[in-house]
Amino acid sequence: MLDLPARISEWLLLLVKSQRTVAHLLVNNELLLIKAGGELEYYGLDDLKHEHSAYDQLPFLEGLLPLRETPFLLHSIGMPSGRVADIHIFAEEDHTWVVLLDVTTEHDDARKIQQKAYDMTLLSQREARLIARLEAAHKELTLAHRDLAESRDALERAHNRLLQELRDAERYVLAILPTPIADPFAIDWRFVPSTELGGDSFGYHWIDSEHFALYLLDVCGHGVGAALLSVTVVNTLRSGALMNTDFRVPEAVLGSLNQAFQMERQHNLYFTIWYGVYNRPTGRLRYASAGHPPPILVTGTGEQRGESKPLAGRGIPVGLMQTVVYDSQECTLTGPARLFLFSDGAFEIMRPDGSTMEFEAFEEVLTRATPGGASELDTLLHFAREVHGSESLDDDFSIIKMTI
Amino acid sequence: MLQKKVCMVGAFGVGKTSLVRRYVQSIFSDAYLTTLGVKIEKKVVSVGAEPVTLILWDIAGEDDVASIRTSYLRGAAGYFLVVDVTRAETLDVARSIKARVTAEIGSVPFLFLLNKADLQENWEVPAQSLEELENAGFVVFRTSAKTGEGVEEAFQELAKRMVL
Repeated sequence: MLDLPARISEWLLLLVKSQRTVAHLLVNNELLLIKAGGELEYYGLDDLKHEHSAYDQLPFLEGLLPLRETPFLLHSIGMPSGRVADIHIFAEEDHTWVVLLDVTTEHDDARKIQQKAYDMTLLSQREARLIARLEAAHKELTLAHRDLAESRDALERAHNRLLQELRDAERYVLAILPTPIADPFAIDWRFVPSTELGGDSFGYHWIDSEHFALYLLDVCGHGVGAALLSVTVVNTLRSGALMNTDFRVPEAVLGSLNQAFQMERQHNLYFTIWYGVYNRPTGRLRYASAGHPPPILVTGTGEQRGESKPLAGRGIPVGLMQTVVYDSQECTLTGPARLFLFSDGAFEIMRPDGSTMEFEAFEEVLTRATPGGASELDTLLHFAREVHGSESLDDDFSIIKMTI
Repeated sequence: MLQKKVCMVGAFGVGKTSLVRRYVQSIFSDAYLTTLGVKIEKKVVSVGAEPVTLILWDIAGEDDVASIRTSYLRGAAGYFLVVDVTRAETLDVARSIKARVTAEIGSVPFLFLLNKADLQENWEVPAQSLEELENAGFVVFRTSAKTGEGVEEAFQELAKRMVL
């Protein structure tokens, strides 16, 4: 066939036989194994039985016979011994030859190369999937970031608009406050609204030629709602708009306010108020309190340390209970003296460590001497900010000083 | 005893060898060892009262360069088309192989095995593709050679379809 001398053909055959560990099998048309030879043990086929089913003994032949084409090659088939063989199958007229040639070494070498190639391929596929996921996540993040930026801008615009409205409200609250007076007695005040705008407001005016009304109120809570109510109450008092009420009688004024401003009709807001009427000819001060901190009367001009006396009053805040009856107290203001009227924001100052300043500390500052014409009110405000550790206070800071 | 040739086919690295090892030897290894050529295993199962010897041909997977030799499936009574659910493209390979196997040996029972089903967080085969398979009337099993999920059931089902 190779057109070679028999000597060379025989040598080639011997070469294949020595290098490929040849084994051979013969199967008849009844699929019985009729012959087996060569290096059967090498492939783990040494216990084959002649005249027994070839399929039962040689699973690699299962279903292949009769061959549809000849020769037929099964490449790199794992054998029972663990060796790997190329199986060449030749169909003859009434039987089939099966020749096994060892390719274990070539199989192992090729498998190593294939292993490397597949490992690399799987790795690069995994990397590509990872990159795709990262890119998708990045895209999502970019979109989310853009949405967030838009939301933030919208929030900032809304916040700025609200701030502007708060400042407008603050200006209005300040605008309705009376100007300080110097004659026939001096009245000065300091009012510093909190950042959120609070519910403090106050006023003073002559009721008639002898009676002078002085009042300060603090609506619960913060914000525009509280400020609106405080402004309304002050406007009511200033304009004398309470029906059938003698504004020279503090307990009557508080009673009328309580009827007019019940919290159910005021969006659940209520307020504390101190209302006093100073009778200038007699020097008598008649006052009533609706849950408000007591004003402090301090003797002297302020050049030396003075004596303090709280003007305590009884009564629950306005708006909480419709049936409440207020009463009043009286005292005589003997000069030289100063009457300090304030809201809780003037003394309930939170320190940076979270603790709250005591009322006694505030009272003590009021009695201190402030020589050299320094403003007592500025000193107090400075003191409050120093205790708080910040220029902006948590609550409205309101204080009125009446100097007799 | 009844004897049936069953072939495992699919893309490379989908877990064909691991499924056979799990089924025949009840073992699993995370290390990936590629198959070159064919590994043949045997396992006897019962279909009803009848014992059947399954001759399992674990055929080297298909890659971009080498297609599987469909002639190796001659005489097969059934086969598994194995898919790696973490690599969507292996489903396309399985579909392609199915067409060629049908052309080679005609219509014999087969099952799609969605292998590595335990890797839920890396699942990449689209739900729509699975729906298409099921709508086409193909039988699909979710398997994990690692946990053993669905393996025994899949081989039993194919054996039943081959015998009954």
